[in-house]
Amino acid sequence: MTVRNLDLAAAAPPRPMSRLIAPAALLALALATPLLSDYALEIGFRLLILLTLAEAWNLLAGYGGLVSLGTASFVGVGAYVLTGAVNQFGWPYWAAIAAGGCVAALLALGVSKAVFRLRGLYFTVATLALAEALRLFMVNHQGFGGATGLFLAVDPPGLRHLFWIALSLVVITTAVMSVATGSRFSILLRAVRDDEDAAAQIGVRPFRIKLAVFMLASFLMGLAGATQGLKLGAVEPYGMFGVQWTVNVLSVVIIGGQGLRAGPAVGAVFVVALSEALADYPALHIAITGLIMILVIRYAPRGLVGLARTRGQRMAPLS
Amino acid sequence: MSVALLEADALVMRYGGVTATDHVSLRLNRGEVLGVIGPNGAGKSTLIGLLGGALRPSEGRIRFDGEDVTALAASERARKGIGRTYQIPRPFLDMTVRENLLAARFSLHPFGSGAQARQACDAILERCGLADAAQWPCRELPLLRRKRLEVARALALEPKVLLLDEVGAGLVDHEVSELIELIGSLRSQVQGIIVIEHVLRVVRECCERLLVIHFGKPFAEGSTKDVLASHEVAAVYLGTAHATQRDHDATTALPGDTTGNATAAPVATAATGAVRAPVLELRGICAGYGQARVLDGVDLAVWPGQVVAILGTNGAGKTTLSQVISGTIRPTAGTLLVDGHDVTGLPAHRIARLGLAQCLEGRRIFAPLTVEENLLLPARSVAAAVRAERLERVYALFPDLKERRHHAGTAMSGGQQQMLAIGRALMSQPRLVVFDEISLGLAPIMMDRLYLALAQLRQAGMTMLIVEQDVERALDLADEVHIMEYGRFALSGPAAPIRRDPRLRHLYVGTAD
Repeated sequence: MTVRNLDLAAAAPPRPMSRLIAPAALLALALATPLLSDYALEIGFRLLILLTLAEAWNLLAGYGGLVSLGTASFVGVGAYVLTGAVNQFGWPYWAAIAAGGCVAALLALGVSKAVFRLRGLYFTVATLALAEALRLFMVNHQGFGGATGLFLAVDPPGLRHLFWIALSLVVITTAVMSVATGSRFSILLRAVRDDEDAAAQIGVRPFRIKLAVFMLASFLMGLAGATQGLKLGAVEPYGMFGVQWTVNVLSVVIIGGQGLRAGPAVGAVFVVALSEALADYPALHIAITGLIMILVIRYAPRGLVGLARTRGQRMAPLS
Repeated sequence: MSVALLEADALVMRYGGVTATDHVSLRLNRGEVLGVIGPNGAGKSTLIGLLGGALRPSEGRIRFDGEDVTALAASERARKGIGRTYQIPRPFLDMTVRENLLAARFSLHPFGSGAQARQACDAILERCGLADAAQWPCRELPLLRRKRLEVARALALEPKVLLLDEVGAGLVDHEVSELIELIGSLRSQVQGIIVIEHVLRVVRECCERLLVIHFGKPFAEGSTKDVLASHEVAAVYLGTAHATQRDHDATTALPGDTTGNATAAPVATAATGAVRAPVLELRGICAGYGQARVLDGVDLAVWPGQVVAILGTNGAGKTTLSQVISGTIRPTAGTLLVDGHDVTGLPAHRIARLGLAQCLEGRRIFAPLTVEENLLLPARSVAAAVRAERLERVYALFPDLKERRHHAGTAMSGGQQQMLAIGRALMSQPRLVVFDEISLGLAPIMMDRLYLALAQLRQAGMTMLIVEQDVERALDLADEVHIMEYGRFALSGPAAPIRRDPRLRHLYVGTAD
């Protein structure tokens, strides 16, 4: 499984300079927001949501070794909870989004006993089954609007406002990722990823570590899903629980470089830019994305960031 | 009597049909170093797994410091102070060496000072001779240093009891001295140590008491001096425990065969005279995994009709050698020839087509298939009549299999599964069969029956390469013997003179004297 083929550099502490890149970029984006056109905001919103999801998935799979195909279930739960909280209880947006994240984390807690009984590929299959089961349930259960879904009772906020929300999500995600990948928790997490049994023999409780990271990632995915639901103003099971969420996030991280801190960002920019460039040719877009995935997996298993890094190392002695 | 530090009471461990641990009890007192020895497959590592919590015993109880820990998970036992190492090191490969230790530290004291944790880890690394590698990614650590890391990581847990599983294997003399020194210095730090070891010097110089396990059962127990002096223990290690009885069996079961060795040599020489090239030839084969070089220039020839045995202790490279022959491992240097043609680097299935059959360590029976289906697999492309005839021949050799032909392959006892594995290898009508440790984990009686079958095959002129731990049985059967040590043949020659060679005992028992 390629997922275990992780990068050694992920283990080394990042250099101080590179640690400042992410905050600087986010600050620049925040300052530039009032100047952006509607088109840029639209693209930017998509990019930021995808980035949040990809970061969460990278935490789960790249750092935790838990390759999940259940992204859609947490996105969908976030979106539905937001709609419910706003419609039924009249909660403000921020509280409803937070609720979306929390319920997604609770879902992770609820299914953890079952899915953690399985390891490796079997875990992956179980998460996929979870997503599909939830989607079918939402389609067939009339309580949540069935196949038609639900409409947000109030008007969604403006595009600029939504962009701000998405940007704050990425800020939260970056902060969570910095703590989770740079702290002592990350050492325990990577120990469990590398060898669960050996980790248990030195006193690490693998179940707790995996549960913590699973809930954390699901929380972030729930937030992203809620924000997406807020933007659409309507949620329906085919879209919010659809497998395309899972696939998009997977392609972002694989193209960017899994287990690498910069992987999701590079991958998200690449994937969004590609989809914009080929927006008029949807069939071609899918074919080209597939081709790129094949090439990346074959020739750059650590994604574009990994490729750039090995190139950089090869160039270094020459300069 | 005071409460023992670690106490195991009648532990039983069964895997399907195999009983790996059969009512083993042990008692580790405070301040004591207990050694556990026994031949390979005796169940020593299983015992460590049971004590450390990686395995749940089928029966029996384990008490640590007076408390029953039988039901506790490995992580909980570790937190109580049971530290273990793995025989085959399992470091966290994508982390640095220091981080490997920190994982233990941080799981134990999640909110302790980071600086202190780092300091403590560096002190342990210094002691274990890994200080220079603290920042290395573990993936770059060679095998022997990974073994040191196993000890260091267990120490980072601040254990009360340390379970050391063959940490001395593969060490050269001065490294063994360092290891002995390290274990000696640990006495003041941990309250008790259990050492599993094949390197007898470590056992002799570190342990006060020894427990000998043989076929999963306790075989002997006592002070190190008494146990090592015992003739029975020496015999168990060399596998001669049932020698006299087996000779008797062989002669009664095979009338007309004037015992193995007398007829063996002529058959072999006659065969070599008639053909130009050996069935299988290895020239200067080197192979390894990552940085560990397991085979270091092996030359070997197997002529038609010949039975060649390869002996050696664990880690000598025997299994790697048989994997190179089967094509599952590509050698890093040297050539592999079949009938004089170079087949180096050919994939496994192409080599199998040339008439080389494998009977691998661990049997590898296809679980969802019945006995008969397992047998028919290698003969898929053969005409039905020929297939039926071969099947009958296998059933004639192993009547047990015929009786259970419609049972699931893995629902049988360990010995019957091994018969099935042998039978399956024969179904392809091979010109050479490689038997890799077929006696592993089998009861003596079962080993007798298997070797009886091999003797019959030899009578029929089958060319065989036998990779074995059991010296006596292999010597009985083979025309030519090679003894492996550190990835090379340390001693080669016809079986009879080798049997009398004093170096055999020396090489095999390690540094017996």
